Amino acid sequence: MRVLVIEDESKTAAYLKKGLSENGFAVDVCADGEDGLHQALTTESDLIILDVMLPKRDGWSVLAELRKSGKQTPVLFLTARDTVYDKVKGLELGADDYLVKPFDFAELLARVRTILRRGPGRQEDVMRVADLQLDLPRRKATRAGARLDLTAKEFALLELLARRRGEPLSRTLIAEQVWDVNFDSDFNVLEVAIRRLRSKVDEPFQTKLIHTVRGVGYVLEERSQ
Amino acid sequence: MSSKNAHSSQNAESARSRQWSLSRRLTVFYVATTAVLLVLAAIYLYWSQVANLDREDNDFLVNKIQDCRRVIEEGSSDAQLLSNEVQIEPAASLIKYYVRLLDNRGQSLMETAGMAKLLPSESFPAPANADDADNAGIIRKGYHHRTWLMMSAKAPSIHQPEHSRTLQVALDVSEEAAMIEHYRWTLLAVVITGILFSGGAGFFVTRKGLAPLNEITHATQRITASQLHERIMADGWPVELASLARSFDGMLDRLEDSFNRLSQFSADLAHELRTPINNLRGEAGVALSQPRAPEEYRRTLESSLEEYARLSRLIDNLLFLARTDGSKIAITRAPCDVQKSIEGVREFYEALAEDRGVEVCCEGAGVVNADPVLFRQAVSNLLSNALNYTPRGGRVVIRADAHNDGPFEIRVSDSGCGISAEHLPRIFDRLYRVDLARSQYPNGAGLGLAIVKSIMALHGGSVVAQSEPGKGASFTLIFPPAPAGPSPS
Repeated sequence: MRVLVIEDESKTAAYLKKGLSENGFAVDVCADGEDGLHQALTTESDLIILDVMLPKRDGWSVLAELRKSGKQTPVLFLTARDTVYDKVKGLELGADDYLVKPFDFAELLARVRTILRRGPGRQEDVMRVADLQLDLPRRKATRAGARLDLTAKEFALLELLARRRGEPLSRTLIAEQVWDVNFDSDFNVLEVAIRRLRSKVDEPFQTKLIHTVRGVGYVLEERSQ
Repeated sequence: MSSKNAHSSQNAESARSRQWSLSRRLTVFYVATTAVLLVLAAIYLYWSQVANLDREDNDFLVNKIQDCRRVIEEGSSDAQLLSNEVQIEPAASLIKYYVRLLDNRGQSLMETAGMAKLLPSESFPAPANADDADNAGIIRKGYHHRTWLMMSAKAPSIHQPEHSRTLQVALDVSEEAAMIEHYRWTLLAVVITGILFSGGAGFFVTRKGLAPLNEITHATQRITASQLHERIMADGWPVELASLARSFDGMLDRLEDSFNRLSQFSADLAHELRTPINNLRGEAGVALSQPRAPEEYRRTLESSLEEYARLSRLIDNLLFLARTDGSKIAITRAPCDVQKSIEGVREFYEALAEDRGVEVCCEGAGVVNADPVLFRQAVSNLLSNALNYTPRGGRVVIRADAHNDGPFEIRVSDSGCGISAEHLPRIFDRLYRVDLARSQYPNGAGLGLAIVKSIMALHGGSVVAQSEPGKGASFTLIFPPAPAGPSPS
């Protein structure tokens, strides 16, 4: 997967390149809007990460030119602006997602993966992680054959973690996806919710599946001890 | 286009007159008023004086004519009597006047001495008829550098028509004319002096009268940012300025309050930033002080991430507040099902509430016209706050009340420790701390209630806090009634 990063702040560009490379992406970096647009038009990328405030040509204009010339490469906006207006403008111009600085790298990674996974997504009926099994149509979870007694929200939380297994999910993203809470809220809520889920999913069993990634969030995966 | 120009020039003019100082304006008004009064008075005085003199002179001439007529009418041939009227009396009189007697053919029969030279008979107007007893036929004329009032009249003789005569009488009014002239100049001088004096007096009176205004200006100039506690005080000022002083003091009160809140906020903000930055510096310093196992570096970085997240949230929330302050956010209102929204928020906090042993109940329903996300955020912040201050076994109630055509209220009340009266007015301040000993807010940032207040301001509503210490606190979101138009139902 090839990602084009158009970002003028050199430190930001450097850590994005490093982080994305280490996660298996080939990364090209451009430091201004003109270069970025040229690169975007002439090379094939799977995703463009675009800053709004750029020298020579701003992000809006790069995106507009790109779409005008018929390129449908997915675009993820990065910006220090966060007014509703900016958000709407970005999405109207054809951006696929929007992330406000300062952001979490894990959050960025999650969103990048979400964008790249879009389209004909695999909609599994049954998901399995180790001996945990989620039967989505019946909203039923079992582990090692034993039925787990989960509330609707607990099931939704587990489903989210399972769908994105191996991927650390931020508290913000979880609150947004499970409770539709897309505003700043009390993160203690998530800690408690995860603790309760753990007590049902992990506590009775030897192998733990739900892990805390400090400073980032939570991940569901089978870790070899 | 031209009308536009005219309009703008009119504007410019009115702007210029607005720039006139008060003293200048008042002085101009004084002078204008005095000038009008003086001129009107002078005109009246002059006119009545002239009319008086004219009437006296005319009466004098008419009387003279009548005296002579009487003599002639009676047909008296007593030349002595006539000569008395025509020659002797005028010569002896202090008033200079001349009489001439003409026969039918216009030949002078008798006249006052010296009259022929001064006033030839042709210079008189045509004679008035005998029955004209009044002043008809009088003319005023300048002759030989003097001003004359002249009159001629027929004087018929009843018994001997051939003895009918024509009378010519002239009165020298030169002195009167000069006097009137002098009077005119005097009046003019009085008017001009009066106007000048009124200008000076007006200026002086205005200065004197407006002196308190200058004093109040000096008083306000004393007040600077560092002396916001100074007041100009309403007592001791004239009534008109007392209300200004009061409003000004009121403004200072509000200003001082905002200023204090702002400095308090800066201090709190610095403190709020210091804690995570201190942690970051300390941990990084310790981590670098000696070589360590990768696992330890990892833990340090993880800890830093937590601090960064805290800082990011603080910045996000501060930005939100800063933008709502200038009302730069456009909110998108939509009818929200209150019950559903509240229930959603309650569900989010359910696990936490159970964990803390606090019961959360939702009551009431309705539809409110609000930004759905902001509305839920407001309720969420209040609920989070309530949970933080309610001890185990307590209870939090979220109650929605729709008043017919009135405001829509959502009250979040808890059975916690309550808020003492001294803190109550400040709890909506940014980063305001009720408990100074608490080094961190339970929820990371003390901006929750400030955000609720901003959200309500964006909706044109308000939030009210009530509390009885020891018995819990309640916060009420008040949404104003939806404006007339499409009903949100």
